[in-house]
Amino acid sequence: MFLAYDPTTNPLNNNEWSFPLAECVHISMFAMSVGTIALVDLRLLGWAFRRESPAQMLKSTSLWTLAGLIIVITSGFIIWTSDPLRYYYNWSFRYKIIALVLAIIFNYTIHRKVALSATSPSIASVLTATFSLAIWISIVFAGLFYAFT
Amino acid sequence: MSLAGDFASAVANTQFFTALRESGLPYPIVMSTHLSSIAIFGGAILMTDLRILGFAMKSMSISEVYRQTRIWKRIGFCIMITMGLLLGGAKLDKYYDNPYFLIKMSLLCLVGVHALIFRPRVYKRAEEIDRAPSVPGVAKTAAWLSLILWVGILSMGRWIAYYERPGEIPRAPAWVTEQPSKP
Repeated sequence: MFLAYDPTTNPLNNNEWSFPLAECVHISMFAMSVGTIALVDLRLLGWAFRRESPAQMLKSTSLWTLAGLIIVITSGFIIWTSDPLRYYYNWSFRYKIIALVLAIIFNYTIHRKVALSATSPSIASVLTATFSLAIWISIVFAGLFYAFT
Repeated sequence: MSLAGDFASAVANTQFFTALRESGLPYPIVMSTHLSSIAIFGGAILMTDLRILGFAMKSMSISEVYRQTRIWKRIGFCIMITMGLLLGGAKLDKYYDNPYFLIKMSLLCLVGVHALIFRPRVYKRAEEIDRAPSVPGVAKTAAWLSLILWVGILSMGRWIAYYERPGEIPRAPAWVTEQPSKP
């Protein structure tokens, strides 16, 4: 079945608007998911929302983060179907997918645990927030570098 | 060529912008930074708007969300605009008559109008709004318009890349033109 798939029949490759539209959804939703995660990270670093606990920040944003992640991954999958093999052989894309899986696991294990228990910025919370920001931003970079490599 | 076209070419052909456009790594780095700052900046705007609309962050007052996100919106905005100027300047000869680019710039102007109208009525009065029994319509209007404007700007930004000037032969990426011959 997979071998029979022909990307030239994909609607994304057969009209002017669907591919850019999928990209717009993808970009808006990574802004929502990464942006809400970044707000928790800023709290963990002690750089914003200091009257709120990190746990409260996580609870306030988690629904939006989750919704953003679901839509960004769905739209990303749709974009990928436009030319699966070309993506598969691209190193930026490979990095992006590996980093994405790691970032999601990290977000719902260590990041969540630290955010729920942290009170004042500690070494653990600063390291967690820095790693979180770094890996998510690197995924954004890799998504764009795909087009240049 | 028109005056606007001459100006756009002159900007794009300056040594600085030519170097940026033809550079290997810096150009995609500038573009990635532009996109990353959308996440930081967009997340802060989104949460403020959603808080005003009563959809998120309800444990905090509107004024508190506004105060706490303000500096990050400013930082994100400055990075985003700087990167945007670099990207726009480097290809201004291609963008100056691109309808999506022009719509994007117009929407950015409307963001300025939005600030002029709603800053004194909503954002500077966030504490009053917090004390009111319900969020007034003007604040909700400001939040919806902000969301619509920013999603519009982001979308038009993406669409810039898909415009072909009438009569101009589209430039296919290298991987299309340099396909290996089949055995």
